[in-house]
Amino acid sequence: MQQGRNVERRTVLKAAGASLAVAGLGATATACGGGSGSGDGTVTIRYAWWGAQDRAERINRTIALFEKKFPKIKVKTDFQPYLDFWKKFNTQASGGNPPDVFQNAIGFLRKYDAKNVLLDLGEQVKAGNLSMEGFRAGLEKFGEIDGKLLGVPVGSNSMALVIDKPVYTRAGVKPEMGWTWDDFDEAMKKIRDRTGRAGDSGMYGVMYLYDLYLRQNGKAFFTEKGLGFTEADLTDWWTKAEKGVRAGLYADARKVAQIKPKSALSAELAGSEFTWDNFTVRYTSEGKSEYGLAPIPTTDGKKTGQYLGSLMLSASRRTQHPEEVAQFIDFMVHDPEVAKIMGYDRGVPATQAQYDAYRPTDPVNQAIAAYEESLVEAGVLETITPHPAGADICEAAFLRIAEELALGKRSVDDAVKQFFTESKTALGS
Amino acid sequence: MGTAVTHAPAMEDLTEDSEPRHGPVNSAGSAALKRRGRRENLAGYLFMSPWIAGFLLLTAGPMAASLYFAFTDYNLFDAPRWIGLDNFSEMFADPRWRHSVRVTLWYVVVGTPIKLILALGVALLLAQKRRGQAFYRAAFYAPSLIGASVSIAIVWKAIFSDDAAVDRAQRFLGFDAGGWAGDPDMIIYSLVALTVWQFGAPMVIFLAGLKQVPRELYEAADVDGAGKLRQFWNITLPMISPVLFFNVLLETIHSFQIFSSAYIVGGGAGGNACGPADGSMVYTCYLYVQGFENSRMGLASAMAWMLLIAVALVTAVLFWSQKRWVHYEEDAR
Amino acid sequence: MSSPGLSTPIDRGTPPAARPAGGGALRRRLPGSLAWHLGALALLAVILYPVLWVVGGSFKRSEDIVGSLDLFPGDPITDNYTRLTEGIADVPVSTFFMNSLFLAGGSVVGILLSCSLTAYAFAKIRFAGRNLLFTLMIGTLLLPYHVLLIPQYVLFRNMEMINTYTPLLIGKYLATEAFFVFLMVQFMRNLPRELDEAARLDGCGHFRIYWSIVLPLSRPALITSAIFTFINAWNDFMGPLIYLNEPDKYTVSLGLKMFVDQDAVADYGGMIAMSLVALLPVLAFFLAFQRYLIDGMATSGLKG
Repeated sequence: MQQGRNVERRTVLKAAGASLAVAGLGATATACGGGSGSGDGTVTIRYAWWGAQDRAERINRTIALFEKKFPKIKVKTDFQPYLDFWKKFNTQASGGNPPDVFQNAIGFLRKYDAKNVLLDLGEQVKAGNLSMEGFRAGLEKFGEIDGKLLGVPVGSNSMALVIDKPVYTRAGVKPEMGWTWDDFDEAMKKIRDRTGRAGDSGMYGVMYLYDLYLRQNGKAFFTEKGLGFTEADLTDWWTKAEKGVRAGLYADARKVAQIKPKSALSAELAGSEFTWDNFTVRYTSEGKSEYGLAPIPTTDGKKTGQYLGSLMLSASRRTQHPEEVAQFIDFMVHDPEVAKIMGYDRGVPATQAQYDAYRPTDPVNQAIAAYEESLVEAGVLETITPHPAGADICEAAFLRIAEELALGKRSVDDAVKQFFTESKTALGS
Repeated sequence: MGTAVTHAPAMEDLTEDSEPRHGPVNSAGSAALKRRGRRENLAGYLFMSPWIAGFLLLTAGPMAASLYFAFTDYNLFDAPRWIGLDNFSEMFADPRWRHSVRVTLWYVVVGTPIKLILALGVALLLAQKRRGQAFYRAAFYAPSLIGASVSIAIVWKAIFSDDAAVDRAQRFLGFDAGGWAGDPDMIIYSLVALTVWQFGAPMVIFLAGLKQVPRELYEAADVDGAGKLRQFWNITLPMISPVLFFNVLLETIHSFQIFSSAYIVGGGAGGNACGPADGSMVYTCYLYVQGFENSRMGLASAMAWMLLIAVALVTAVLFWSQKRWVHYEEDAR
Repeated sequence: MSSPGLSTPIDRGTPPAARPAGGGALRRRLPGSLAWHLGALALLAVILYPVLWVVGGSFKRSEDIVGSLDLFPGDPITDNYTRLTEGIADVPVSTFFMNSLFLAGGSVVGILLSCSLTAYAFAKIRFAGRNLLFTLMIGTLLLPYHVLLIPQYVLFRNMEMINTYTPLLIGKYLATEAFFVFLMVQFMRNLPRELDEAARLDGCGHFRIYWSIVLPLSRPALITSAIFTFINAWNDFMGPLIYLNEPDKYTVSLGLKMFVDQDAVADYGGMIAMSLVALLPVLAFFLAFQRYLIDGMATSGLKG
C-alpha cells in the first residue's frame, strides 16, 4: 500500500477495484477525478479559496466574466474560512486531489513545494499563457521560490489595526502613525472604560502581528530553519496578554469562541482587531458599524516592522489542464474588469493595469488605498522574512494555544512550552 | 414481523455457533456424502465470497497496513519511513494526546452510566402496560436515529450557547455560568447530554429483555412477600443481565468512538478542531486532526491502535466480569 | 425444528408477558396511572425540545433564533426556506439530496444483497470453517472503525478513488457491515427448516432456495436492515468528509457543514431551516417504519 513501490500490486488492486465497479458501482467509479474534459472540448477546472460570503459573491462575478471570455473553460468553486480552508486543502492535496487552482499565501509556498503539490508556472509564462509583466512594486517576484514561479500575486496587503470607528471616537482615541505600544495600551483602557467594550479581539494570538513586534525589535517570527525568537520573548508577550484578558482589555475568549466564524469585531465584542487591511471590506459587509484602519503601534516611535503581503493564485501540479489554469490566473490578475469587481477585497491589485482600472469611490476601499499609500510615504515597509515549511502549522498552533491561555486553560509558562514543542515538530527541527 | 425475532435467546449464541461438529462420517459414509460435503463447501464459499473479499480487502488488509504505518513516519506525500516506536513515544509525551484521552474517558465514564440508567429506568416504566406505551416507546427512540446527524449537532451547539435555553434555565436556577458551548470545561457535558438524549436505543433493548422475564417469578415473589425493590434486585436485574451486559458493552465501545458530534458541536468554523481550548477534543477528533489535517498518517495509525487496544481491553474486562454478574437463562432457571 | 443444535428461540422464549415491573400495581391504579403519564409527558417534553426548537427556529428571523425562549415565533416567516432555493455555494440543495439519496439507495441495495448472501451461508450451509468465519465476523462488529480509516483511505487514494462514491459504497457491497449480517443470520436460522429441506428434495440448489424461499421469508429482517442502512448512510458524516472533495458531490451532511462554514454568519436562519430539511427524510422513515426499527433494535440487543 505504500507509495506505489510495488507497481504490480497496485495494478492488481486497481483491477480489483475496476471489476468491482463493473459489478455494480459503474456509474460512480467513472466519475473519478476533478476537472476532466468532455466531448465538446470544454474543460472544467476547480478553483478554491478562503474567505467569507462577500468575497464569494465578488469572485463568482469575476468567474462569470471569465467564462464568457473563455467559453470552453468552466470553473467550479469552493471556499472556507482561512484555517478550515488549509485543513481541507491539506487533506485534498495528500489525497492526490487538490483543486486545479487555488488562493495561496506566503506561509504555504515552501511547504507545498516540498511536497510537490505546486505547479511551476514558469513553463506557462514561457508558453505565453500567463504574463508576468506589469506588476507593481516588485510583486512579480513574490511567489518565486528557488527560481520556480509557484504563485502569482493578486493583490498586496499589509497588517493594520482595523478599528470600529464609532467606538474609537466615543473613547476619544485617535491612533497616529508612530504611536507606541504604551499609547496603544492606554487606548485599550480608554475604550474599556468609556465604551464598556473590550479594546481588542485577541491580538496575542495573531502570528503576523507578533512577527511585526519582533521585527520592531530586530528579530522575526521565523528564520530560514526555525523560530526567530526565544521562549523568554514569548513569555513576555503572553504575560502581557494574560493580564489584558483578565483586565477586560481584550475580548472574552469564551464569547469569541461561540460566535465563530463571525469575527469578534463585527460581532461587537471588541473595538479593534489586528489583521490584514483588506479585511475592512469583509467586516463592512458582516457587521453593522463603520470600520477604519489605524497604524501598527511601534516600539521606537518609527519602525512598524510592516511589509507587503500578498494573496496569490497557485496551480496544482496534478492539474490536467495547466494551460487553462494559466489562462485563468492571467485573466484574474490582468483583466481590468476583474479589478472593478473585486475592489480591494484581496488587497490592492498587484498589476498596474488593475490598479489603474479601479479607483475606489466608497470610503472603505478609499481608506485601504490611503492606508497603503501612507505606509509608502512613511517609508516603513521592509522586505518580508522567510516562512519555512511548517509555518502554517505554527500559525495555527500559535492561535490555538493563545486562545487556551485566554480561556484560562493554560498558564503562560505552560503555553509557551507547548508552543515551542509543537513548533519544533512542525518545523522538523 | 418480529415475534420470531424478538424473543430470541440470549447472547451465548453470539459466539458459539451451534452447528454440530462435523463428526466422523460413519463407515457407511460414502462418497456420496463426501461429495455432498464438498458441494456444500463450494456453495458456502461462493455465498461467502463477497464477505471474504470485503474482509480481506477492507478489514484484514487495512489492519495489517495500519499496524505497519504505526511504526512509520508517513505523510502520504513521501513513502512511509520506518521509525520504530517513535510515534508511540511522541504520543505518550504529547500533552494534547493525554488531554484527548482524559476527555474521552471522562465522556465515557460520565455519559454511558447516565444514559444506561436512564434507559433502564424508563424501560421499567414503559414495561407497565399503560395506554400510549407504544407511542412513548417510539417517541423516546426517535432521538437515537437523528442524534448522530449534523443537523442535531448544529441544534445542540445553538441550545448550549450563551443566552439560549440551557443558559436561561441555569440562570433561572441561580447559576450564571454562561452557555456551555463556549466553555472549555463545560462543552464536554453538552456532548454528554447529547448522548444521554439518545437513551432510546438501549431502552428499547431493555424493554425487549424485560418482556422476557417470566411473570411467574414475580408472582412467586409476591407470594413470598418480597418488596418491589427486592424483586427488582433479585429477579429483574439478574434476568435482564445479558441485555444489560450487551448494552454496557456496545454503549461503551461506541462512546470511545464518538466523532461527528464532537467535531461539529465543538468545531464549527474558525480553526478550532474540537471545542474552545480543545474542550471537546475527544480521541478520534485528535486522530482526525493528526491524520488528515496534519498529514501524519503514521502517528494517527499508532493512535488508532491504541484505541483498538483500549477497546479490546474494555471488552475483555467486560467479558471476564460477565461470569460474575451476567446470568444466562440456564443458570437462572 | 429438526436440526439439532441450531438454536430455535421460539421454543425457548416465554410468551411476551408485558407485566408491571414492580408487581401489584393494580390496586393503586388511578393515581399510579396519573403519575406514570405525567412522568412520561415530562420526559417527552425534554426529548422533543430540540426537535421543536429547530422547527420553530426555522420560521424565525436569524437574530431571534438563539436568544428567544419562545419555541414558536409570533410572526412566522418563510424567508429561511426561500433562502434555501438559492442553494449553498452555488450548488442547489436538491443536488445534495440527490447525492445522499444515491448513496443511501446504493447502500441499501448493497447491504441487502451482500449481507443476505453471507447470512444465508452462515445460517443454511454447512461448510468447513464456518465457525471460524462467524467468529471473525462477530469480531469485526466490535472493531473500532478508526483502525481501518487511515489504511482504507490510503488504499482508495492509491487506487485514485478519492472524490468518488466508490469508497463509500464498496464496503456495503462486500458485506462489511457485520451488524446486518448478524441480524439476518439470526432471522434465517429461525425460519422453519422443513421448507428448504423440501426444496432440496425437489432438487433445488442453494441459490434457488436462497432466492425463492429464504429471501422472501426474510422480508422483515431485510426491511429492518434496509431502513437502518438508509438512515446510517443519510447521517454519515465522517465518510463523506474524508472522501468527497467537490461541493457538487457533497451529501446533505456535508452540504450542511458547508453552510455552517460559509453562510452561517450571514444567514443563521437559513442554516436552521436546512438542518430541519436534512432531518426530514430520517423522520419520515421513522414515522413510516418505526415498528420495524424498534423490533430490529430489540432483536439486536437480545442477540448481539
